[in-house]
Amino acid sequence: MSEVFRDTEAPLGRPEAPRGTRWIRWTVVVVLVVPSIWAASGLGISMQRILEAPADMWRIIRPMLRPDFSYNQVFERTLPKVMESLYIAWIGTIVGALFSFLLSFAAAKNLSPRWLTFLVRNLFNAIRAFPELLLAFIFLPIFGLGAWTGTLAIGLHSIGTLGKLSSEVIEGIDPGPLEAIHSAGGRWPSVMRFGVLPQVLPTIVAYWLYRFEINLRVSAFLGVIGAGGVGAELVSQLRFRNFPAAGTVLLVTICVVLIIDTVSSMIRRRIITGKAGEEGPTELFDEPAAVGVL
Amino acid sequence: MTQGARPAPPKKSAVPYLAVAAVIAFTVFAARQVGFSLSQIVNNFQTARDFIGRFFPPDWAWAKENVPGPMIETIQIAIIAAIIGCSVALPIAFWASKLTANNRWVYYIDKWFLNVIRTIPDIFWAMLFVTGIGFGAFAGVLALIMFSLSIMGKLLSETIDSADPGPLEAAKATGAGHTQAVQASVLPQVMPNYVAYALYIFELDIRASTVLGIVGAGGIGRVLEAQRAFFRFDRIMAIVIVIFVIVFLIEQVSVFVRRRLV
Repeated sequence: MSEVFRDTEAPLGRPEAPRGTRWIRWTVVVVLVVPSIWAASGLGISMQRILEAPADMWRIIRPMLRPDFSYNQVFERTLPKVMESLYIAWIGTIVGALFSFLLSFAAAKNLSPRWLTFLVRNLFNAIRAFPELLLAFIFLPIFGLGAWTGTLAIGLHSIGTLGKLSSEVIEGIDPGPLEAIHSAGGRWPSVMRFGVLPQVLPTIVAYWLYRFEINLRVSAFLGVIGAGGVGAELVSQLRFRNFPAAGTVLLVTICVVLIIDTVSSMIRRRIITGKAGEEGPTELFDEPAAVGVL
Repeated sequence: MTQGARPAPPKKSAVPYLAVAAVIAFTVFAARQVGFSLSQIVNNFQTARDFIGRFFPPDWAWAKENVPGPMIETIQIAIIAAIIGCSVALPIAFWASKLTANNRWVYYIDKWFLNVIRTIPDIFWAMLFVTGIGFGAFAGVLALIMFSLSIMGKLLSETIDSADPGPLEAAKATGAGHTQAVQASVLPQVMPNYVAYALYIFELDIRASTVLGIVGAGGIGRVLEAQRAFFRFDRIMAIVIVIFVIVFLIEQVSVFVRRRLV
C-alpha cells in the first residue's frame, strides 16, 4: 500500500522542462531564419521601397474608395462580366464534379485494384500541381480568348482537387452495408448505388459546393489573361488608371462573392447537418486532408 | 407494429425535384453563356492536335540559361510571403475567435476584415500592388502576404474556436492577464495546427507565385508571359515542366512533414 502512495507523491519544486525543447527551438530558428535571409537578400528589395510602399498604395486606394456608381459602369461593364465569371465557375465545377465523381471510385482503395488506384491518384496529383492560371495560359492559344478557355482550365483543375477529396470520402465509408448487399445477392451496380452512394453523397456534394466557391474567385481573375470573366475589366481599368471604376469592379466582385459564399455555406450546412440555421461543422474542412487541396 | 411490416416510405416532397430542375436549367443557361458547343469541342480538338506539336520538343538549351534565376526568385517570393503572412496572421486569428478576442468589437471588425480580404483573389492583389508600387518581386511578395494572411486567418481562427476553453479559464483563475492567459493556454493547443497550416500556405504560395509574374509581379511568370508574346511554345513547355516538378517536390515534402505533425 505504502508503495502506491510513494509513487503518487508530488515531486517538490518546479517540474523539469521537457527534454528536447531546446533542440526544437534551434531547429525552428534554422528552418525560419536561414531561408528568410536567403530569400530577402535574393529579392533585393530596398528599405526605401518598403518605406514608400504605404504612400504609393494609398495614392491608388484613395480614389478607389470613391467608386464610380454610374449606370454604365455598374450595369453595363461590371455586372455582366461578374455574371460571366459566375457561369464559368459553375460550368467548370460541373465538369470537375462529373469527371472527378466517376474517377474517384477508381481511386478509392477499398473499391478498386491497387494498380488502378495508384494510376488515378497520381493523375489527380499531377493535375493539382498546375495552377488554374497556368492551365488557362496553356489552353489560350488552343481554344482562343474567351470564357470557354477559362471554363476548361477550372474544370480540369477541379477534377484533380475534387477527385482527391471524393476518393478519400469513399475510402472512409462503413463496409457493413456493402457486405449486406453482397450477401443479399446484389451485384456491383447495386452495391455502388445502395451501399456506397448514400454514404458518400452528402459530403461529396458539400465539397462540390465548396469548390464552386473557390472556382468563383478563380474565374474572377482568369480574365486577367483573357480567359473570360471580370478580371479583364479590372485589368483595363487599372491600366488606364481609372481608379474609381476599378473600385467599382472590386466592390461588385466582393459583394457577389460574399453573397455566393453565404448561400453556398448555408446549403452545405443543410446537407451535412440537416438544419440550415445552425453553426455548421466547419471541422469538415479543417481535416488536414481537406485542407491540402482547398 | 406487426413484425415484418415494411416501414413507411418517407413522404414525397416537390422541393428536391424543383431544386434539381432549377439547377439543370441554370446549368444549361450558363453552358450557353460560356460558349459550350459540341461541334466547337470537336473543332478544338482538331486545332489542339495541330497545336500540340508546337509545344514539343521543349527547348531545354534555352531553359538551362533562362529559367533557374526567375524560378529561384519565385521560391524566394513564396518563402518571404509565407513567413511574414503567417506571422502577421497569428494575432489576427486570435482576435477573430470568440474564445480569445479581447472584446466583441475587435472580434466583429476582425472577422469582417478577414471575410473581405478572402474574397479578393491573389492575382487581384498582385495587380493592385503592381499598379501601386510598380513591377517586380516586391509587389508579388505583398500580394502573397495578403493571400497568406487571409487563409491563415480563417483556418487558424476556426481551429481556435474549437480549442478547449478549460485551460484558458484555469490560466485566468491564476490571475493572468488576457494576453498572458491566451499565450499560455490556447497557443500551445493550436500550435501544431498552426505549423501545419503554415506549411500548407507555403505550398499555396509557391503555386501562386509561379503565375503572379504574368501580371508583372516577379518570378517565373514574367518569363512565361514574355515567351507567349513571342509564340515560343517549346520554351513555355520547358518552363511548365520545371514548375510542375518543383511544385510537386515541395508538395510531397510538405505533405510528409504535415502528416507527422498532426
